[in-house]
Amino acid sequence: MIALDGVAARRAPLTLARLSLSWGPGVHSIVGTPGDGGPLVLELVAGKARLRTGHVRVLDGSPVDAAVRRQVALVLLEPSLPDALSAAEVLALAATLRGEPPRDPVSRLASLGVEALAPRRVRTLAPEEARAVALAEALTSTRVRVLLLEEPLAGVDPRAAARLPEVLRGRGRDGCVVLVATASLRDAGDVADDHVLLRGGTIAGRAGSLGELSAFSQDGVRVRIVASDPQALLAAVAGEAAVEAVARRDGAVVARGRDAAALAAAVGRAVVASGVDVMEIRVETPSMDDARAASASVSTATYEAAYARTRAGLAPPPDGPP
Amino acid sequence: MIAALARPSLARVFRTPRALLALGAWSVLALGFALAARSRGSANGADHVLVNAYGALILPLLAYTLVGAVLGARSLAASIAPVVRLGAAPTRAAVVTVGVAVGAGAAVGAVLASVVALLAHGSGDPPAASDALASAYAGALGGAAYTAWFVVGASFGKRGGGRAVLLVADWVLGLGRGAVALATPRAHLRNLLGGTAPMEWSGRASAAALVMIAVVCAVVAVRRAARA
Repeated sequence: MIALDGVAARRAPLTLARLSLSWGPGVHSIVGTPGDGGPLVLELVAGKARLRTGHVRVLDGSPVDAAVRRQVALVLLEPSLPDALSAAEVLALAATLRGEPPRDPVSRLASLGVEALAPRRVRTLAPEEARAVALAEALTSTRVRVLLLEEPLAGVDPRAAARLPEVLRGRGRDGCVVLVATASLRDAGDVADDHVLLRGGTIAGRAGSLGELSAFSQDGVRVRIVASDPQALLAAVAGEAAVEAVARRDGAVVARGRDAAALAAAVGRAVVASGVDVMEIRVETPSMDDARAASASVSTATYEAAYARTRAGLAPPPDGPP
Repeated sequence: MIAALARPSLARVFRTPRALLALGAWSVLALGFALAARSRGSANGADHVLVNAYGALILPLLAYTLVGAVLGARSLAASIAPVVRLGAAPTRAAVVTVGVAVGAGAAVGAVLASVVALLAHGSGDPPAASDALASAYAGALGGAAYTAWFVVGASFGKRGGGRAVLLVADWVLGLGRGAVALATPRAHLRNLLGGTAPMEWSGRASAAALVMIAVVCAVVAVRRAARA
């Protein structure tokens, strides 16, 4: 439903370099900072930014086609709504512009828990509230089939943020393409089924889950455990073969391993063996730098392997003619 | 669809007290000039007020304020961006927004000019009814041309700062009677209201020039906003 073919675009100082990507129904993320190009990709898909080369196809048409435009919703970090209208009027206006049958705006806003904003004029809303209204419009529209969202879980009314992951997944299950640009690996993992890592306008890696993103990390997977006796737990964890490194940090024990499942099992055994009470245990989300470094190393490894294969192919056979 | 697209612009005007206050202030000032002329018993009160106050000062500033109110003190492209984000075609959104501004400018210009003509009417002026009608005609053309003039100005600059540049340009270039003045609404409106004519043009030619200015400015503004 969305296809980018050799797309290049520029917004100083960023240059998107010949991206070729495609997305079908479901929730997908583009992971990277705004400087890496995620929001620019969203704007290209929405027909709001100019291409230098390549093609963008959305719903089998050009993003600037009137019929396509009505089915695409773009919600960036800075919401853009008609400032003199109330939230309810904005939803009614959007329904008219998109060619939808009119529906009760209050119930549409209620899907994100922000129905109290219905009578308020947009210019009186805080930016987080305005974003919640924009997201409610996009997510409850019956015409919208492509949702392009920048940082949907950041800078948004907390009432809406709590409901957003499930609502986004629901739209993905309904056959919509939900494309999320985020700098947060955790947010990407919370809402999306697959991920594209962008770095400086180029594709640095692709992953099917947060686990795979974690596996990209050069440091492997990290588990943070808050326990009643950190020292005893530390000693027990250190004895596990699957644990590559263990340390105390801010009163918690942080264990590192190569394989997430093996590490979890090792930590479980250590907790039982040490007899400590566990208050909290969670997998630490890799930092953006971890993911970037990991994808760079994957690219390097791929290159080295290809180089080695090429050399082997060019080398004369040992007993052949010179 | 057109009504839906016009709604945000109209709401900006009618739901922004500051905009209404500014528009009201310019209108009251025009009526004040008219009443002052009447109280002085000026024989050609309507002529004087329409040329020297209404056409030279009030209508340009009223149109300037009106465009700012319709666009929300932003550039034309920025003012239509919210409805474009909601699925509207950029060209259609720009056409409707410019149409709201130009239509409102023409209506306000016509009503205010006719009221000023009636209030300031003196013994030396043409019959009141026909003078009011002629003034409404000139005011409508002037209002439409001025709002289109400022809308095209608002298509330049991040916050539509080109609007102020065109206000000054109209003021400076439109004062004279030479060829340069032909490019400004001021010279043609002055001619229509009974003042000095630029390059000795007839009233009909100036009316056509005002229509031309309105149309050209509106087309340029729409094209610029749709491309942005």
